[in-house]
Amino acid sequence: MKQSTKNRLYLLLPILSVLTLLAVFTLLSSQEGTLIPTPIEIWKRFWDMMTIQISKATLPVHVWVSLKRVLTAFVAAILLGVSLGVFLGWSPTFNALVSPVFEILRPIPPIAWIPLVILWFGIGEMSKIFIVFIGSFVPIVINTHSGMNSIDPLLINAGLVLGANRSQLLVDVALPATVPAILAGIKTALSGGWMCVLAAEMIVAKQGVGFLIVRGQEMGDMSQIVVCMLVIGIVNVLMSTCLTKLEGVLCPWQFKKAK
Amino acid sequence: MNIVKLGKKKIMFLHIVGLVVFFGAWELAVRTGLLPHQVLAAPSEVLNTFILKLTETKPDGDTIINHFFISFRLALSGFVVAVGVGIPLGLFMGYYKALDMYMTPIFEIVRPIPPIAWIPIVILILGIGMGAKVFIIFVAAFVPCVINSYLGIKLTNQTLINVSKTFGASDWQIFRTVCIPSSLPMVFAGVRTSLGASWGTLVAAEMLASTGGLGYMIQMGRTLIRPDIIIVGMLTIGFTGALMAKGLSLMEDKIAPWRSKQ
Repeated sequence: MKQSTKNRLYLLLPILSVLTLLAVFTLLSSQEGTLIPTPIEIWKRFWDMMTIQISKATLPVHVWVSLKRVLTAFVAAILLGVSLGVFLGWSPTFNALVSPVFEILRPIPPIAWIPLVILWFGIGEMSKIFIVFIGSFVPIVINTHSGMNSIDPLLINAGLVLGANRSQLLVDVALPATVPAILAGIKTALSGGWMCVLAAEMIVAKQGVGFLIVRGQEMGDMSQIVVCMLVIGIVNVLMSTCLTKLEGVLCPWQFKKAK
Repeated sequence: MNIVKLGKKKIMFLHIVGLVVFFGAWELAVRTGLLPHQVLAAPSEVLNTFILKLTETKPDGDTIINHFFISFRLALSGFVVAVGVGIPLGLFMGYYKALDMYMTPIFEIVRPIPPIAWIPIVILILGIGMGAKVFIIFVAAFVPCVINSYLGIKLTNQTLINVSKTFGASDWQIFRTVCIPSSLPMVFAGVRTSLGASWGTLVAAEMLASTGGLGYMIQMGRTLIRPDIIIVGMLTIGFTGALMAKGLSLMEDKIAPWRSKQ
């Protein structure tokens, strides 16, 4: 009995914590001469931005512009990254040949590519897509490669005993066994890619959430910045939720194990 | 899953071939004019610029050594604060349910916002000085530290906890002598992620608002259309990141040697 009342009290704590957060926020924002907007101002600004156009687009359009950049780059990064990772894991010769170059380029943060990429592609759409591509390509390759390397030898041997040839081993044994690792890489890549598109848009863009947040800074419009931060966070959560769902569909065995 | 094993000598040979082909093709592409100079600088030019920049302050206002130390000091200060606050917070959140229930909602609201998105608001409130950048790096490095320390405690083997309870250990003793040591590998994984995140975020912060540092240097390289300076900066950033990660894993071997043996 005592334990259950204690548990019920615990359930109150999350509510209390959100309330504290709101209270501190309201207190800070309602002070004289502060820059910080009140929660109500932020809420109003949010609805304004849904209908009023900033740089020829409303908030949902800006979000869509950014998402489109991420998704385009993402498809390319998955196709090329998974093939490179599989190939690196499959052929030791290719691995030995390519890995030193990859190891030199890998530690460079994708954001540090921005200046060079702008010189290459100008400030158009292509440069943003390329930055996101670099940011998501690397984790996908690394995860696919390490997934290939950590396949249970038992599976390979079983395949060999049953008389599989090399291409059958790759398609029927190695690839399915690597799917969870690939998905883990894709997950890392997606939130990394979302951050890259922000950074790229913050440095040069005419549309997109990254542009919107920097515009807020230039105008000294705190509410706009906070709305953008929250929207960026929400999109991030939604994307990773979708991927987790996809993971459940693509490799249910892994999903059950995790539970 | 390599079925075919290569000899050490052959691997070495292939490594060298790969590097030579890569740099050779790059050098040739620039030398022959296939890629114009405004777009890419040949490796030899990059090396030249690097040596020159060790002492020369032109055209971006400082030597590469000074840029490096500006960046390094900033990244390290934000990182150290984040580790110092984040690890204890994560450990306690993992062990004490009340703190977990209280902190998790706040944390879940803040966590999905990428550190870069904090830059504009922090600049408006704190200006573009040292404090703003340290704060942004702190945000970047803080999150992975908390998550991993929290998970490390949560993943403690229940058998170990039960054994210590049977032997009459107090709550605090269990936390200190069982949970913390068993969480260390996870904690270290978090610290490693944090280090990478703080270094990457620093570059972004310096590109957006700064008057010095490696991020500023590559941004200036873009404005001046000097790909050689950009590439020197990129390689320095990458190399430093790799070096720091290496240093951290050496430290890990000292503090939590059982992990490296696994």
